[in-house]
Amino acid sequence: MKKPKAIILRGTATNCDIETFNSFKYVGAEPELVHINQLLSGGRKVLDYDIMAFPGGFSYGDDISAGKIYAVKMKKLAADFEKFIKGRRPVIGICNGFQILVKTGFLPQNRANAQVSTLYTNDCGHFIAKWARLKVNKKSPCIFTKGLPDEIELPIAHGEGKFIVEDKKELAAITAGNLHALTYCENPNGSMLDIAGVTNPAGTCFGLMPHPERNFFAWQNPDRPAAARETEAAGFQFFKNAVEYTR
Amino acid sequence: MIIEIWTKEKYAASEDAGFIGRMAHAGLKVKAARLSRLYRVEGEFSRAEFERLGKELLTDPITEKYSLSQWKPGLKSAWRVEVWLKDSVTDVVGESVKGAIADVLGREPKTVRFGRAYYAACESEPKLKHAVVKTLVNEIVNKFKIEKI
Amino acid sequence: MNDTLSRFTSLPAKELEALDKAAGWSLNALELAEAQRQFRKMGRQPARGELETIAQTWSEHCKHKTFSGPVVFKDGSKVKKYKNLFKETIVKATKTLNRKWCLSVFTDNAGIVEFGKDGKWGLAFKAETHNHPCAVEPYGGAETGVGGVIRDILGVGLGAKPVLNTDTFCFGRLDSKKKLPKNAHSPERIMRGVVEGVRDYGNRIGIPTAAGGLYFDEGYLLNPLVYVGCAGLIPVDKIDKKVIPGDLIVSIGGRTGRDGIHGATFSSANIDEDTSASAVQIGHAVNEKKALDVLMRARDLGLYNAVTDCGAGGFSSAIGELGSETGARVRLDRALLKDTRIEPWEIWVSESQERMILSVPKNKLKKLAAILDAESCEYCVMGEFPGDGRLLVTHKDETVVDLPMEFLHGGVPNFEKQARRRKIRINSAPPALPSEKYGQILKDLLAHPNVCSRHSVITQYDHEVQGGTVGKPLQGRYGDGPGDAAVIWPQAATLDQTDFSGFGVSHGFNPAIGKIDPYQMALHSIDEAVRNLLCAGADVSRTAILDNFCAASPKDPEVMGDLVLAAEGCLDGAIAYGAPFISGKDSFYNQSRDAEGREYPIPLSLLISATAPVEDVRKALTINFKEAGNPVYLAGLNARGMGGSVYNELNDSGNNAVAPLDMGAAVKLYTGLAKAIKAGCVAAAHDVSQGGLAVTLAEMAFSGGLGAELDLAPAAREKKLTALELLFGESPARLVFEVVKGKETEFLRLVKGLPVSEIGYVSEEPVLSVQDGSVPLFREDLAGLKACWRRELI
Repeated sequence: MKKPKAIILRGTATNCDIETFNSFKYVGAEPELVHINQLLSGGRKVLDYDIMAFPGGFSYGDDISAGKIYAVKMKKLAADFEKFIKGRRPVIGICNGFQILVKTGFLPQNRANAQVSTLYTNDCGHFIAKWARLKVNKKSPCIFTKGLPDEIELPIAHGEGKFIVEDKKELAAITAGNLHALTYCENPNGSMLDIAGVTNPAGTCFGLMPHPERNFFAWQNPDRPAAARETEAAGFQFFKNAVEYTR
Repeated sequence: MIIEIWTKEKYAASEDAGFIGRMAHAGLKVKAARLSRLYRVEGEFSRAEFERLGKELLTDPITEKYSLSQWKPGLKSAWRVEVWLKDSVTDVVGESVKGAIADVLGREPKTVRFGRAYYAACESEPKLKHAVVKTLVNEIVNKFKIEKI
Repeated sequence: MNDTLSRFTSLPAKELEALDKAAGWSLNALELAEAQRQFRKMGRQPARGELETIAQTWSEHCKHKTFSGPVVFKDGSKVKKYKNLFKETIVKATKTLNRKWCLSVFTDNAGIVEFGKDGKWGLAFKAETHNHPCAVEPYGGAETGVGGVIRDILGVGLGAKPVLNTDTFCFGRLDSKKKLPKNAHSPERIMRGVVEGVRDYGNRIGIPTAAGGLYFDEGYLLNPLVYVGCAGLIPVDKIDKKVIPGDLIVSIGGRTGRDGIHGATFSSANIDEDTSASAVQIGHAVNEKKALDVLMRARDLGLYNAVTDCGAGGFSSAIGELGSETGARVRLDRALLKDTRIEPWEIWVSESQERMILSVPKNKLKKLAAILDAESCEYCVMGEFPGDGRLLVTHKDETVVDLPMEFLHGGVPNFEKQARRRKIRINSAPPALPSEKYGQILKDLLAHPNVCSRHSVITQYDHEVQGGTVGKPLQGRYGDGPGDAAVIWPQAATLDQTDFSGFGVSHGFNPAIGKIDPYQMALHSIDEAVRNLLCAGADVSRTAILDNFCAASPKDPEVMGDLVLAAEGCLDGAIAYGAPFISGKDSFYNQSRDAEGREYPIPLSLLISATAPVEDVRKALTINFKEAGNPVYLAGLNARGMGGSVYNELNDSGNNAVAPLDMGAAVKLYTGLAKAIKAGCVAAAHDVSQGGLAVTLAEMAFSGGLGAELDLAPAAREKKLTALELLFGESPARLVFEVVKGKETEFLRLVKGLPVSEIGYVSEEPVLSVQDGSVPLFREDLAGLKACWRRELI
């Protein structure tokens, strides 16, 4: 079977790119790390790929606000990204990637590239890295969370993860469409409706603050060896689903 | 041009409380506070372009607001503390923003410096100054000024 | 100053001293006289840049004159002389052990040991301190400290990929009541600044900060210690570097500015009120990440022959070091500057952060430039390495430095230091009976700042970026128990998810013991670091260690005496444990004047950082109790003495004897236990350290949410050991194990003949109950214990 090509987007000072690359490789994709400078110069084209991932971590130091400068750089390429998403090719934004997708306006719903939601400074006022229990919304159209149990664990690591939607209609659209694919059991940052991850109505473009690539294998869990009996952990499913969707 | 950005009041509670707590730790009771971020952008840009920077680059459209003139947060009997890095100290945020401005406007400004302003309703200026020096600024790297608003 | 310089070779001593002070060089009279002699020999006067270069190259920070100099040590009537203390202790241990898995020791920016199964990889490890800058500007000091040690890893061999950051901090007590001098920051402010600096730099650059520690003592009130470490992976065929004559000198990363003049000499001087602002900098993690991304790509394509970081001394040290054999032609007008208002000699010695120097063959520059551009990383070509051994630095038409290389790297004048054993009165009488119940004492100890939870600091660090932090600083059923060692699975460096090789990193640190017995402190610290690795399931027979000494003024013979004793401890400990030192660093003059104007020195502080391979990260161990019904074992001899214990700090027992480490017995014990761990007999392991056995048991219990019913009667113990010493004494070489129920027979077979005793079992009921034969000691519910321990430090 032909391997789907996954573009892992980098920029200046992106991190988490390599473990995301590794995760896609493990589930049978053919990943490639691509710097946004390569897209801007025309050396690479997003439409040549089957899956797109915005990795977590920081980009451009997250100065101004997390993901903002990367989102600004993407503006010139908005048409290509839009085509990719409209064509229902799977897109995942993890942590910083989620922040980028929200700030470009691609999530939750693409309202003419206008930003309708944001991820703002955590209520505690600073960066926080710990494990979080998450509820999986079984009614969500999200293709990435299919087949997951009702509750999973993933680590979070962010300073700006408080999901906010100001417009009541937009918020209602999220709940009505079950776009909130993942919610926190104990809200760590003050997110509205405990939201940890949001999908577009098609279910193919998905952003989440927790890091599935960090609970990909059982031995990445802090509670071991009790958990190390199985090889793959909850995070594996997100990547596997993306690859299977392309087939 | 200084572009001032602040968090809308309904999202600012934790940031304000953090500042009030820090001042309390330094022995100053602050009754109410608001915070803002300052970008001093020097370059040949029109007012419309500065507006665009405020709107499209420097402000979160959901949670923040901006102004090209000094913000009036509506605190009674309060002081404004403005803090910058000294010019001799590398301003990391300023450098990032400089590059991002070029992405938005197509040309780079001469310099960008990042600072913060704190609006504090409290008893007296000397006490505020004492607390600011004790916990907020380091005079080795920072410069600051306090003014009555 | 130019006028004085034009008469340099004939200046009298007094004027030399005044010149040194005005220029901020921190050279002593002997060194100034030597410089004078050299220029007299050359028959000319020096340029400012030349004296600056000498000051940088000969600084304590660059040359480590104290530790590697001659010392006379007096212990009562006994006298011992050292020609080079460092070589005769630390280096001697490594040479004696001569381990073939040590790939590079003491020569490069970091030590390198073999990593993994197939001999393809090396693990580079380095730790250093950034104390003075953190005292003055905690946030920027911590940031640039982290950035500096990461560059050491980027600059080792042809560049290693950083996969772990470590941080150990010492601060004054947060509840300190002592009056501070005018310009000193409170410990709370220093701690907040340092933690935020490490957080913002480490998180932005994407390296997990996953190991380290926090230590509070009034001795650090005016001089905090900030130890920063970094470990990285390097292909073994990229360890050797050699500048080829004709190579270009290329600087990549940050620009050069006036914001880093005299950092190296600053770190050797006392902090006082007129501390120069230019010695303090703010870190720029984004620039360093750009350099990292470029280097890893360019290294694998073989685009440069050598690399090193710009650290202390800036270009002068980095280019001087790379060109020490070939010489160098440097054109300072080619440097990219932050600010044009800068003197040529300032460009040469500026310590602006985030710069790396590469030695690039002319025909590879174009390819390298393409990568630099693609990563938006700035660079400049500053000259070349000619091969004639001459250092010629110019700025347009001005000659800034023109010296033969051997002049700089030849004999730094060094003088003999006096050392004397400190007199400490030891009281070995049984400790006074406590006024409180044991359960309450345990709670007080758990809440002590040197024992309590570090979660409020750890959770601010992205300790799991790169997806390889298998042994976490916070672990157990609730993800909040205190891990003994970080276990790293460097998948983001090897790109191989089918190879489960990893490594553990741990620390040993105990200045409280050092105040009583510096020799035992060194032994205890090595032992603690090794034991921590063992508890994580690492192969401790392959332990490699780093030494980081911090001390007060070496002009005080007792400070030097402490240093000599601790260094001797390092030698003996390393040899007994078969654990070579692979790198190390030292920092002196950690003392300041207090509010009353008296000298306020730190206690001698030795951080031992240790690493050992973990063959299969999937089998790494954690500290928490796993299953009710599993038996609990105590390993090691419970010895007498409360010296250096946390208990004594809370409530002085009168007894200050430090239990000496029996190195032979400890190594034998660990060898047996390692076999049992490898055989899969062990479900959890935790070392006994600060707070003693009761704290260890409590941590294992509440991290697993399971209680234990324990009777310590079978435990191996010294005669006349009191219950207080058994529960809260801190004698070394002890561990607690939870053994898998079905594997008890095998466990006992593997530890036969060793001091290992069953002391009870894990229970479902969340209560920790401990007795000693017929004497009940305490019975406490876990929620209560955990509540005391889980303090918010920040």
